[in-house]
Amino acid sequence: MNRISIQNLDKRYKTRDGDIPALGSISLDVAEGEFVTIIGPSGCGKSTLLYILGGFIPADGGTIRVDGKEITGPGIDRGVVFQEYALFPWLTVIQNICYGLEMTGMPRAGREQVAHRLIRTIGLEGFENRFPRELSGGMRQRVAIARTLAYDPKILLLDEPFGALDSQTRETMQDELLRLWLAQRKTVVMVTHDVDEAVYLSERVLVMSKRPGRIVREFRVALDRSGSREQTVLSDAFTRLRNEVWLCVRQQVGGG
Amino acid sequence: MFRYLPLMLFVALWQAVVDLGVVDRHFLPSFTQTVAALWELMQSGEIAWNLWVTTYRSLGGLAIGSLLGIVLGLLMATSLAADRFFAPLVATTYSLPKSSLIPLFILWFGVGDVTAMLTVVLACLLPVIVGTYQGVKAVPAITLWSARAMGTPAHVMLRRILLPAAMRSILTGVRLALGFCYVLTISAEMIAAKAGIGKLIFFYGESGSYPYMFGGLLAIMVVAYASDRLLIAGMDYLLRWDDSVHASAEHE
Repeated sequence: MNRISIQNLDKRYKTRDGDIPALGSISLDVAEGEFVTIIGPSGCGKSTLLYILGGFIPADGGTIRVDGKEITGPGIDRGVVFQEYALFPWLTVIQNICYGLEMTGMPRAGREQVAHRLIRTIGLEGFENRFPRELSGGMRQRVAIARTLAYDPKILLLDEPFGALDSQTRETMQDELLRLWLAQRKTVVMVTHDVDEAVYLSERVLVMSKRPGRIVREFRVALDRSGSREQTVLSDAFTRLRNEVWLCVRQQVGGG
Repeated sequence: MFRYLPLMLFVALWQAVVDLGVVDRHFLPSFTQTVAALWELMQSGEIAWNLWVTTYRSLGGLAIGSLLGIVLGLLMATSLAADRFFAPLVATTYSLPKSSLIPLFILWFGVGDVTAMLTVVLACLLPVIVGTYQGVKAVPAITLWSARAMGTPAHVMLRRILLPAAMRSILTGVRLALGFCYVLTISAEMIAAKAGIGKLIFFYGESGSYPYMFGGLLAIMVVAYASDRLLIAGMDYLLRWDDSVHASAEHE
């Protein structure tokens, strides 16, 4: 069953010199439990697509359905993780993680139980009462993911979630995300410009063209993810696919 | 202690010019004379009563003005209609010297608390409105988006997101207003009042008792400085989560 169904989605940006098309009629279905990554040159509109999916900015044409229902704005069925984390700096780690549940009206004891479980999962025991400013980038991103998982959205929308991290932390976080996804099988739509990340994590990689962004190619990723990171990344299948995607993205950047 | 060095040099210079006869003692009392006069005023209870009157007028006016300013600023930042209505009023009255209204207020409300406090309220209103407005307008879209993505209802947005996100800017406005509030209370009291440090300063100034006049000035300076330090301590606590420079750090 399709969890997300996007049809003929258009978006134009209004400027003084007239409209600039940002997205060119995007159609895309994402199945329940699927991990889809959208990759493309910077400025191709991939983040715009994700923000429209999140319900933050309106589309200029086309429809987006989630579980058959057209979306009209943000909703707690779609959890979003932003590149800059977007944690509330005035709330502590545990307050940030509890926030979504608080909005659903869950009593304090219940939401703190959920938060403590998540804090254990992300390995931040002892940091419950710290403010985001006291955490490293990697820790902040863990909190950002935990606060989204806390209210258990059916869909995760990830906007270059590890883009601001150093490469070691990024790999650790990718492994954590993969483990979480394998365990929970949420529907995930991720936007990135990192080819390795796209191939390593997702089941399907969609390559977007330069503006106006269009989906130019789709890669199915059938990798055995039961082994370690090394086993996956060093396999011939991974290397071959990674090179193909890289070449495709590169052609987009070059304007080909 | 190093930061008080310029202040100590100033006091030493002040004492020296009077003691060495550079300035006539009758026109400028020395620092020690001023402290002695202040001590006398403290013993008679005269200073305590007048300080109390000036302080509650100043800080009361500041509190009322700040609350009103925050409400108006939030309203203007979140409602286009409110913005259109109040923006021209704010822009045109911003540079108006509020002390020029004191004689008018005396005519309307008589001599006393209402006149002094109303002047303070008006003066405090504008920096707080501007601070609140700019603070709310500067909240990043991504903060609002993540709040909405997590199901924050519109009426909760104000208290849980906009207010804390704009807190630094709001408090900066309040601190600016704190600088005005004693000035305006004393201005009002100097023009006409039954009590207050302004009245005390004016009375002793008129009668040529300059050590007592300077004693009154010294007392209000200490109180105003203490209020500012207290506000900064409060700001540091309220903004302890903020990763930008802390309020007190500007001064260390």
